[in-house]
Amino acid sequence: MDATTMLMMMETVVTQVPQKAAAAGVTGADLVKAGALIGAGICMGFGAIGPGVGEGYAAGKACESVGRAPQEAGLLTRTMLIGQAVAESTGIYSLVIALLMLFVVGG
Amino acid sequence: MIELEPHQWEMLGRYLGAGIALGMGGLGAALGMGNAAGAASNAMMRQPTQQGELRRTMLIGQAITGDASIFALVVGLFILFFPAVQPEEVGGNFFAAMTGAGIAIGFGAFGSGFGCGFAAANACAGVARNPRRAGQTTQSMIIGQAVAQSPSIFALVVALILIIRQAPGTDLATMGVCIGAGIAMGVSAIGSGMGSGQTAGGAVLGLSRWPRSYGVTLRTMLIGQAVCETPAIFGMLVAFIMMFAMQDIPEGILGFAHMLAAGIAVGFGGIGPGIGSGLTSGPACVMAATYPRRDTLILRTMLIGQAVAQSTAIYALIIALAILYVV
Repeated sequence: MDATTMLMMMETVVTQVPQKAAAAGVTGADLVKAGALIGAGICMGFGAIGPGVGEGYAAGKACESVGRAPQEAGLLTRTMLIGQAVAESTGIYSLVIALLMLFVVGG
Repeated sequence: MIELEPHQWEMLGRYLGAGIALGMGGLGAALGMGNAAGAASNAMMRQPTQQGELRRTMLIGQAITGDASIFALVVGLFILFFPAVQPEEVGGNFFAAMTGAGIAIGFGAFGSGFGCGFAAANACAGVARNPRRAGQTTQSMIIGQAVAQSPSIFALVVALILIIRQAPGTDLATMGVCIGAGIAMGVSAIGSGMGSGQTAGGAVLGLSRWPRSYGVTLRTMLIGQAVCETPAIFGMLVAFIMMFAMQDIPEGILGFAHMLAAGIAVGFGGIGPGIGSGLTSGPACVMAATYPRRDTLILRTMLIGQAVAQSTAIYALIIALAILYVV
């Protein structure tokens, strides 16, 4: 199989899916809802990466400190939790936006 | 409008799926093995008399690191050569099943391969630091790496199920199920694999410095790794729900969007919490080895920290379930 055939196959797949969808009767409202759904998925999925890594890093440092200074465990845990709560904020923004897209905009 | 012939759909799915499986699956293992080889070279420079022991540790570590990419190779061969059930009815569903299986095992093997490299690298450094305890260091490395492989085993299971339950014809909702399940399982396994590997790396590092705290360190490592696996388990749960428990998927493009969105949410949502849990339990294992008498306190702090770091994975699971069942 040469390169032209391969390219033609790829092109066909790309053009064929929407055309089949049109044959099945896709309306604009359907597309808007599909966009809102995928948007919510991307929003929550990618939005969860940062807080997860950041909170884990903070907790790792807290574990090190607790190991070195066990008498300060209460203070260190409290500081860790406050820091994690702040790092969590962008995750909660993503959750709110995803819920908005699912139930208010797309619904 | 050009219609694709069944054998064209078949070839397209097989080539794309096998490419993703081996491309991504090989990448992680290669990075991990390179990490181990670099650490081994560094260690040999410091301890030229221990070259034999170091080469042995490096090769054992690399062999286990390569397991994930061997899973990817097996699934890649299945994708290429597993016979289509009804060859004359092959359509978009077969294409999506093969692509989804490739995504599942390709991304799923990436994390485990990359993560196991940390443990192998730290084991080489540890053998150089404490050659008399080489046996114990290698042993803890093998245990840690074996647990860190589990996300890629989950991905292997999901990929094989996707290949075997191929459906004939072309139907956007079924295509969405295959690709969504692949993304949910494969991408969420990246974080778990890397996190578990980092935990094993921390434990090996700590044990090579403080060989006497073997039991305490191993316990901390296994608990930490178990928490790191959570995002991959969420991903597998959503993949199984999509494949087996969905009753009424909307027709057409809307069904495709539902499945893809749920897969993206839980899949990518699992990366961060997995890596973050590993960043927590890695240092916790080092500390448990250093101060074995304070292990209860360290374990408690580690579990609180990991629980908070998992919260975004739980949000992602909630959003995915809301997409599947509510909207």
